Amino acid sequence: MQNLYKPDLMEVVGVKKHTSDVKSISLRFQDAERAREFTFRVGQFGIFSAFGAGESTFNICSSSNWRDHIEFCFRKVGRVTEALWQVEEGDTVGFRGPYGRGYPVEEWRGKDLIFLGGGIAMPPIRCAIWYALENRADYGKITVVYGARTVGDLVFVDELAEWAKHPNVQVIQCVDPGGQTPDWSGEIGFVPTVFERAQVPAGHAVSLVIGPPIMIKNTIPVLERMGARMSDVYTSLENRMKCGVGKCGRCNAGPVYVCKEGPVFTFQELQAMPMDY
Amino acid sequence: MNTLTRDGLRKLVGEWMAAGKICVGPVRVKPGTVLFARLTSPEELLLDGWVRPANSIKELLLPRNETLYGYRVEKNRIELLDPPETIPEQIAICAHPCDAAALPILDKVFNWDFRDEAYNRRREATTVITLVCAEHDEECFCTSVGLAPDATGGSDAMLYDLGDGQFAVSSLTEKGRAILGEAEAHGGHASAPPVRFDPKQIARFAVDRFADPFWQAHSLACVGCGACAYTCPVCHCFDIVDEGNGREGVRARNWDACQFSLFTLHASGHNPRHAQGDRQRQRIYHKFHVYPEKFGETLCTGCGNCARNCPVGLGVLPLITEIPHAEPV
Repeated sequence: MQNLYKPDLMEVVGVKKHTSDVKSISLRFQDAERAREFTFRVGQFGIFSAFGAGESTFNICSSSNWRDHIEFCFRKVGRVTEALWQVEEGDTVGFRGPYGRGYPVEEWRGKDLIFLGGGIAMPPIRCAIWYALENRADYGKITVVYGARTVGDLVFVDELAEWAKHPNVQVIQCVDPGGQTPDWSGEIGFVPTVFERAQVPAGHAVSLVIGPPIMIKNTIPVLERMGARMSDVYTSLENRMKCGVGKCGRCNAGPVYVCKEGPVFTFQELQAMPMDY
Repeated sequence: MNTLTRDGLRKLVGEWMAAGKICVGPVRVKPGTVLFARLTSPEELLLDGWVRPANSIKELLLPRNETLYGYRVEKNRIELLDPPETIPEQIAICAHPCDAAALPILDKVFNWDFRDEAYNRRREATTVITLVCAEHDEECFCTSVGLAPDATGGSDAMLYDLGDGQFAVSSLTEKGRAILGEAEAHGGHASAPPVRFDPKQIARFAVDRFADPFWQAHSLACVGCGACAYTCPVCHCFDIVDEGNGREGVRARNWDACQFSLFTLHASGHNPRHAQGDRQRQRIYHKFHVYPEKFGETLCTGCGNCARNCPVGLGVLPLITEIPHAEPV
């Protein structure tokens, strides 16, 4: 009988340290058949676990086109992430998923894409960027504005440079004032300000905005000034979850179960929801 | 068998217990405290008059602590161990209609889209014999949420107290007939509490006045103990935690409650429901708006356990009666 909560056992095939407290881990299914049949949509999430410490919810931050492994990224902040921090190549961790509603990447076809991220919010954007680059003909101009408090807090920096090499892709990196190093070549300022300075038309674009609440709050008016419709602006909510499958009762934002109906929402959808996230 | 005497019922319970079935019913576990508890002898079963146990029979389907699976770690290999496949048959005796009504409500949560086999296995193994309420107390409000003291939802058999030491018996399902035989008798007295509010009005208030100071003002006394949720027949929120160490242990499902401050706390430190008033609102909002929107029913059976067990006089009915325009309808 199928046990809803029993995870897939995953072999750790890569560990990458991004900052002093952020790592990403690459996983491969131990079960070959499960590895073959497994699919997901970018934007979906999983429940990852270290046995003895517990489970935690993270976006699957690899592209859904990558068939040989999946990745997730986390900051070391609690019991489970402290345990995941100790994980090495060859170790086994648990994975349940994929869960939730991913990005409607088919509906995004034919549009420009604007990705706006702050800090540890890069992973759920990164999967969509790779997906778009791998299906390059389907999308127009791609703009990425990614900021963090300091240079040392930026994650996936080598990939930022790689994305910028693609034609018709603009990548702007920024750090908060005071967060720069002497050799910093990116912008200095907050994501909303830097994005406005770049004057990217958003009227025919789909935007994905993920970051701390203050960044999102200040970015939305800029997007509106750039001509974006709120039905074309997406985010991914981060409500705390335990089950991931609509039973444990904690992730609802108003009447909406983030684990089932989210985590991806348009701002038009969010505006119809009460402030419960 | 259309009627049963009290002694006849006890005798049957004794037979079920002898056959290895787990029998649960109202038991005075200590002076002043009655709980639905596993019987160690049929004599423990309280059959004299109306008693409202402080807990509910949801524990039979959703135990406070349940092993989802075990794990064993050997170097970097991990073995997952299934919990026992078979759940012993369990019989709830003298459940209240408001306890039994919780089962079809919980069925929906545990089976929409993803099926929760741990829950379904226990549900399948559970038979519910409900005693019609011949009395009620001032915390009871089943009639306000569309139920009644003789409601049959979720029950496999009904007992009607005929008042002369006898029960009329009605078997409603295969499970009921399997233990009580064919029976179709009714009678006795059912005592309905007055209708106290209209759930649709409460839903409207919770939606329209989501950010209203009402919620903070009326939950200042709440100590966040979670007794309301733990004794509620339909509150089902749970946590999943590892109990063990890095070598072996179990991943377990434990009860949780929306009244706890950590319930929705994000890793970032942000908490969407940081004040107790937000959490009290969530409890009402979930029961009267979220669940009905999803499943078409109220997530409350009007048992009144939340109010009876609250150390500071809150609970669904006390909070709701403070809502403007929620006077008796």
